[in-house]
Amino acid sequence: MVISHALGARIKRREDPRLITGRAIYVDDLNFAGMVHVAIVRSPHAHATIRSIDTTAARRAPGVVAVWTGEDVKARCGPLPVGPRIKEMKAPKRFPLVIDGVVRHVGDPVAAVVATTMDAARDASDLVEVDYEPLPSVQDPEAALEPGAPILHQDLGTNVCFRMTYGGGNVEEAFAGADVVVKTRIVQQRLIPAAMETRGVVAQYKGGELTVWTSTQIPHVVKTTLAETVRLPEHEIHVIAPEVGGGFGSKLDVYGEEGLVAALALALGRPVKWIESRRENFIATIHGRGQIDYVELAAHHDGTVAGLRVRAIADLGAYSQLLTPGVPTNTGLMCCGCYRIPNAHAEVIGVFTNRTPTDAYRGAGRPEATFLIERAMDLLAAELKMDPVEVRRKNFIPPAAFPYKTPTGAVYDSGNYERALDKALERADYRALRDEQAKLRKQGRYLGIGIATYVEITGLGAVAGLSGGNWESATVRVEPTGKVTVLTGTSPHGQGEETTFAQIVSDRLGVPVEDVVVLHGDTRAVPHGVGTFGSRTTPVGGSAVYVAAEKVKDKAVQIAAHLLEAAPADISTDGARFTVRGSPERSVEFKDVARMAYKAYKLPAGMEPGLDVTHFFVPKERVFPFGTHLCVVEVDPDTGEVTFRRYIAVDDCGNILNPLLVAGQIHGGIVQGLAQAIYEGVTYDDEGQLLTGTFAEYVVPQATDVPAFELDHTVTPSPHNPLGAKGVGEAGTIGATPAVVNAILDALAPFGVKDLQMPITPRRVWEALEGNSASR
Amino acid sequence: MKVEGTYTLPASRQKVWELLNDPKVLAKATPGIKQLDPLGGDTYKATIEVGVGPVKGTYAGQVSIADKVPLERMTLKVEGGGKPGTIRATGELRLEEQDGKTIVAYTGDAHITGLIASVGHRLIGGVTKQMVGEFFKALENELKS
Repeated sequence: MVISHALGARIKRREDPRLITGRAIYVDDLNFAGMVHVAIVRSPHAHATIRSIDTTAARRAPGVVAVWTGEDVKARCGPLPVGPRIKEMKAPKRFPLVIDGVVRHVGDPVAAVVATTMDAARDASDLVEVDYEPLPSVQDPEAALEPGAPILHQDLGTNVCFRMTYGGGNVEEAFAGADVVVKTRIVQQRLIPAAMETRGVVAQYKGGELTVWTSTQIPHVVKTTLAETVRLPEHEIHVIAPEVGGGFGSKLDVYGEEGLVAALALALGRPVKWIESRRENFIATIHGRGQIDYVELAAHHDGTVAGLRVRAIADLGAYSQLLTPGVPTNTGLMCCGCYRIPNAHAEVIGVFTNRTPTDAYRGAGRPEATFLIERAMDLLAAELKMDPVEVRRKNFIPPAAFPYKTPTGAVYDSGNYERALDKALERADYRALRDEQAKLRKQGRYLGIGIATYVEITGLGAVAGLSGGNWESATVRVEPTGKVTVLTGTSPHGQGEETTFAQIVSDRLGVPVEDVVVLHGDTRAVPHGVGTFGSRTTPVGGSAVYVAAEKVKDKAVQIAAHLLEAAPADISTDGARFTVRGSPERSVEFKDVARMAYKAYKLPAGMEPGLDVTHFFVPKERVFPFGTHLCVVEVDPDTGEVTFRRYIAVDDCGNILNPLLVAGQIHGGIVQGLAQAIYEGVTYDDEGQLLTGTFAEYVVPQATDVPAFELDHTVTPSPHNPLGAKGVGEAGTIGATPAVVNAILDALAPFGVKDLQMPITPRRVWEALEGNSASR
Repeated sequence: MKVEGTYTLPASRQKVWELLNDPKVLAKATPGIKQLDPLGGDTYKATIEVGVGPVKGTYAGQVSIADKVPLERMTLKVEGGGKPGTIRATGELRLEEQDGKTIVAYTGDAHITGLIASVGHRLIGGVTKQMVGEFFKALENELKS
């Protein structure tokens, strides 16, 4: 692809000045006359029957306007979406408040108190008396599968939401004929997405229109589903995602509070606001990961992998949210990683537990897949006494094999895995690192070198069952003065398309980036769109902008040709000016063409006025970015502390639209990935109480906790979209977790430590070394 | 969460038993009890004020005494709820006399929910031990008075 003055340039994010100077408008910044505030009463029990709810005292409290329980919701609201339907899936209905008298996780919403101020609402919510009869609860997804385990949803009669299998070849034969088999059990701990801005909803019903401002990644999906939840015609609903302070998947959902606040606004005839507290964010917004993976890898003595067997048990939590089942199924699909594994079988089981529901969190099933195969490759290398690099090299899918179909059913578009690996090794000076490692070990110092080679899926599709298929919309509108307005169906919360999409338009039309404005997140302004998740903004949303801009350009050339009395084929353009080839004096400026486009009598016969194109882009297939992450750590055997020495990431996201934004995405991604490796982890007690309930217990890394990143790229364009781009929003997270864990375990190899539970805290390292003290 | 231990009181088993069965003494000796109203049958309505680290709150609930074997043992049950969460606790006290002194052996188990669980769980063991200590100290003071 041509990298022009605009595309591929290091342009600073245009959205940042307003974000970092406090001028951006978030949901909580909205205030309307007569607005009332909602506080939600939530279950303190993991599993209990509600005997009764007494709202008398709360109703009498100062400032209280209304108190709703499940009974009120039953009369006013329809159900919430429960995920993409997959075969034989059993998913319980969900409503904005518990309506069947059973709470199923700490944080399940039981009642809503509406008052004239937020403080009054919160104070009065303490006066709602809920009489609970605690029920036995089940916390561990494997325990939930056992006969006799407490059943969450009695009407389903089982805790199993779904079972799916992926695979091909002959796995039994492959294992029987293999020289070695390595096995491991991996616990992907739950993570709290911890977006900087918690959720929030404001709703107002005025003049026959319901307007809902919500901190979401998918405003159009919220609009469509709200029509059912609050029983209003969809065209009377207007959803706006104002500035959104991070999501990481946690706002890729339709939450009960969106329906609840909208229903309250309709019922009360006043603007209603609900802002999630941080405590609620920890218990009532989805968690990520939560998976137990049994992995077996069979191989020959020379390191060639013969077969892979995976059993993934996914902790879904108490309910199926919008995409819950779609997360672990990604793990089944992607478990073969970058390797040519002829025989593979993956069973994925989704299980309900008495915990906060899980759903998509940065990577959504691909980090789990990458982690399990990358750990297995390191275990295999150790078993065969091979270098982990060589085992990977031996099994890579070769560049000539693309498009490559894995036995699990994924079709990889393009790749050159060895090139990315070589670049990382070269940059790290891998041989010298291994020499240094050997030298330091003799001095009683433990250096670890971890490698993760990943491939993942991006440009993910629409929400199945809601919009259908994988597509995104874009409008490129040239105003009569030549300025350009772009409307996109994607809905950013840190992706930066106000910059990159302007770059695409600037590249196509030749107008300066400053002349392009990119609007998003408003369902009244933007044609129906899908939203932002699965690293789809650039490959799907950006491609829609690209095609729309191309169509605008074609029309502009026709208008210019008509004005210059030449054939369209004879018109050349540098964007700013259209010229008749060979006659440089016969030219017209872009802005004059724009003005003429709106003067019907100046146009060629039969041409519609306007210079305004909407395109719904459908990619041929999903795209598969890849790369190699290499992490160097030193582990102090006396304290168990892990210190980062170096972190090298070579990522291939196809063509790069803006290197600054790509680096930003990789940086943030790596931080979240290494955080899973050594810092973050949700802990519940046996009764389903969240023990990591604040940022004091749940450790999100700070700037001083992470190393400097050395980034590099290879470029393997995707054939599936005109930009040749692959998404990059999740790659860093996917590569980082196994790279860091492999590095720590490489450092601890002399102690015979083969596995450690994440987050690998100093205490866990120290305890493992104490347990293996004989080998010291 | 479980606690156990022993405490030696300088009085006869008879005297200690009487103290433990006197609501006025219980109200005075139990840390945080703001109010204790008899509901009959060894059950009391209680208002308890406890702070666990940053989580301070008032809990309304019931204290009851069960499984009484005079002079030997009794079980104390506390159930309460408040803004920061709920508490369900049972404590068993066994009395043994030795050289005119009484050794009270106690075991307790508590289930907590809500903010006290998520924020206070690392502190609650220490707080409980401290409260048990204060309780027996207060009983000891009662014996002296």
